[in-house]
Amino acid sequence: MAGTAAATSSDVAVRKKNRNRSPFYQGWKRFKKHRLAVVGLAWVVLFFIAGIIGPWVAPYDYRIGDFLAINQGPSWTHIFGTDNVGHDMFSQILYSIRSALIVAVGATLVSFVIGVVLGLWAGLRGGLADAIIMRGVDFMMTLPGFLFALILVVLLGRGYWSLILAIGIPGWAGYARLVRSLVLGMRNGEMVEAARALGASQAHIARRYMLPNVTGSMAVSLAFGIPGDLAQIAGLSIFGMGLQPPIPSFGNMLAQAGDNILGFPWLLYFPAGIFAITLLAFLFVADGLQEAFNPKGGH
Amino acid sequence: MSGPLLAIENLHVQFARSEDQVYAVNGVSFSIHENETLGIVGESGSGKSVMLMSSIGLLRENGKITAGTANFQGRDLLKLRPKQLEDIRGRDIGVIFQDPMTSLNPVMRIGDQIMEAMLTHQYAGRKEAFERTLHLLHEMGIPDPKARFKNYPHEFSGGMRQRIMIAIALACEPQLLIADEPTTALDVTVQMQILALLQELRRKRGMSVVMVTHDFGVATNFCDKIVVMYGGQIMEMADTDQFIRKTMHPYSLGLKRSIIEVGHRGKAIVPIPGAAKTMTQAPAGCPFAERCPYRTERCDNEVPELRKLNADHYIACHRAEEVASLAV
Amino acid sequence: MAVATFILKRFVQIVITLILVMSVSYIMMYYSPGGFMNTTTMATVLAPLQGQNPILYQQVMDQFQSRYGLNLPLWQQIVKYVWHELTFDFGNSMQNPSLTIMSQLKQTLPISTLLAFGSVLLSVVVGVPLGIVAALKRNTWIDYVVGTVSLAGQAIPSFVLAVIMVLLFGVALPGILPIAGWGTWKDAVLPIVCLSAANIGVVARYMRGSLIETLRQDYIRTAKAKGVKYWPMIYKHGVKNSLTAMITVVGPQFAVTVMGTIWVEQIFGIPGLGKVMQSAFTSFDYPLAITSVFLLGSMIMIMNLLVDIVYALIDPRVKL
Repeated sequence: MAGTAAATSSDVAVRKKNRNRSPFYQGWKRFKKHRLAVVGLAWVVLFFIAGIIGPWVAPYDYRIGDFLAINQGPSWTHIFGTDNVGHDMFSQILYSIRSALIVAVGATLVSFVIGVVLGLWAGLRGGLADAIIMRGVDFMMTLPGFLFALILVVLLGRGYWSLILAIGIPGWAGYARLVRSLVLGMRNGEMVEAARALGASQAHIARRYMLPNVTGSMAVSLAFGIPGDLAQIAGLSIFGMGLQPPIPSFGNMLAQAGDNILGFPWLLYFPAGIFAITLLAFLFVADGLQEAFNPKGGH
Repeated sequence: MSGPLLAIENLHVQFARSEDQVYAVNGVSFSIHENETLGIVGESGSGKSVMLMSSIGLLRENGKITAGTANFQGRDLLKLRPKQLEDIRGRDIGVIFQDPMTSLNPVMRIGDQIMEAMLTHQYAGRKEAFERTLHLLHEMGIPDPKARFKNYPHEFSGGMRQRIMIAIALACEPQLLIADEPTTALDVTVQMQILALLQELRRKRGMSVVMVTHDFGVATNFCDKIVVMYGGQIMEMADTDQFIRKTMHPYSLGLKRSIIEVGHRGKAIVPIPGAAKTMTQAPAGCPFAERCPYRTERCDNEVPELRKLNADHYIACHRAEEVASLAV
Repeated sequence: MAVATFILKRFVQIVITLILVMSVSYIMMYYSPGGFMNTTTMATVLAPLQGQNPILYQQVMDQFQSRYGLNLPLWQQIVKYVWHELTFDFGNSMQNPSLTIMSQLKQTLPISTLLAFGSVLLSVVVGVPLGIVAALKRNTWIDYVVGTVSLAGQAIPSFVLAVIMVLLFGVALPGILPIAGWGTWKDAVLPIVCLSAANIGVVARYMRGSLIETLRQDYIRTAKAKGVKYWPMIYKHGVKNSLTAMITVVGPQFAVTVMGTIWVEQIFGIPGLGKVMQSAFTSFDYPLAITSVFLLGSMIMIMNLLVDIVYALIDPRVKL
């Protein structure tokens, strides 16, 4: 298998030649076959672009409302309308995309990093460390992460960092379990056995042999993780425990608009619609990745 | 003697794979008479199971019968609608499979699984079926049938499960029993017990048995008649006595040499070189040619017909007579 | 007998988990910057008194503190608090010191329980047949529709669906089903549908996969060899075996349903546990907040226990 030998110039040439046969290229070919996944990917890319360039293209400041134009329907000046204090909904949504992405990606990374570290530790060290970590996983799995997140928000507050941590910290268990099982699956594999026989250190084995092999599974679980965290942050907002206003967020928009929905439904059409489509898009992508990289796994 | 119970003529079966076609059975004809036991022998992939399963409508979804007839009691099984086949399966033709560990429904009491066969075909009423199930369990040598009736498959050993499978297959007293590698998954001692049981049940009932096996010893001990298959074709077909004394086909000879038999001490075991390959094209020559020590050009270019040597012996080999004299 | 031992063992596990969760919650609430002492209604109401009559203020505060055990060392507070919770002595809420938490729960808990169990029932009743149809008609348009719809149901959280339902039945099709409040059975329809969407999707997807896998098993071939007719074969041999495989995967999913009730109640304005919990968290009413965590956690774990028992009832190979 490519990648087991040290990278030399001849190795690079071989790798170029083998690119068409690399697992990633094969995976991409399979991924492309799922039309919904490709459409989903396009939407997700758009969503990320909107989140990154949002502040520069938003026509209005999210903090300043136009008191002369409250609760307006969509028009040329406010294409998605305005809310009850005259905020431009289009700008609100652009900023919400940004805030949602910051928290969701941040939280997913936090869960992921903790999960990978603990999973590797449990899998490689075994023994007591393994037992303790797996008890922890069981404990976290007994109850929904949201419950822990709620409690953490009480302690940490409602800023960006607090929410990233509050949502991220309880989410580690799933990743840890996955990583541990992957490590155990490979621990006694021939490749690792050979490396160990040659005297490679445990850290080296983990970095060089194990991590590359699990990339596919990891990508799938990350792709499922981000929409999960997007939903969590919105769920916290609905509960009044999300990002502190005036930072715009989908959850806040959904929660607020519930109060005056009958008079001004457009306050909900756009946020609810975009949010729902985004979650769907992420899931289609995740599903596509699942089938592309891990066709036997899952359902 | 009346006509055969089951007569298969010129059967062809193909499997569709994502890229190509597999030619699993390529023009097989044979028949089995009442009160007869027929052993079909061959390596895995020789098409022996597929041939039988296709005739009773148990082919996998991607399999297709492309030609042939299978006459059973005056009806061509291959032309029956699925519903009509359902009526025949389990009532007139019973089947036992290779792996008793996976062939029983794990969440259904074994008694119910036996009764189900009878109730499906209205062979017996509920009460009668229950009594009969107890009787069958007893007949299969399962102690304490009343208590065991309520047990689930995982509470039995492999041998016991195979006995239950036989009880299911015989529940409606079929005239024909198809036994697809019935002892392959079992321990050697259990194999013997199951074979003895089958032998006894067969004699008592006077039914016919087609036994599919890759085990030469099992086939020759159990069966009146032997059919050797390779590459979806019949290579040799003969009465067991004839077959043992005058094996003619190079493949049959190879099979015989590759097994250990009691009383053959000192003789070397000679495996057949090469491995059976999957046929993705219609055969152009003898399917065994590639592995055959007696191969000639003709073997590559002309499919050998199954021809009659004498009343009890058929063979599909261009050089059968020469081989027989060479191989002594 | 074995069943009793199993339930007892699981019960002990549940209690231990609850003790852990409550202790952690308590510590976090204790150290939270918005700490419960300076944000309670009590402290706000009494603030003017502090200047006028410091002695009386101190007396009232001491009384308040001892009522909630706030003057003890932390570990004693925790032990005391957890013990009270486990014996269902929840005390009084801080927002409404005159109301016992128990009396609030008596009104709200049945509503949330109804929603959660109603949703589990609906998910199974709708999801299982959908999965069966998709499996039997696999790779046809029916299968793709079921697959896509269940994926959508999984992707969209209950609260977003709730908002969409409110739009649909409030704005587009007004008057068919109520979109807010609680009283008649009609009020339960939309919340239960929203809660079930995700589970229907999950159940259908796993049922499909599980049935397809089951129909490849040897014992299905045995059933066919017996001459069993199509539908009895699908039901008695296929579906029954698929259910066991599905339950293990789908069971934990129902915990999410219980969690979902708190959002759905929020959006449909239903006076259930979720409403109480929300006001408790946003106003740092710590006895009420921890009690609602305690109840929610118990409900989820009891739900999982029930799933395991059902599993053992269906599959004879499972020993409790």
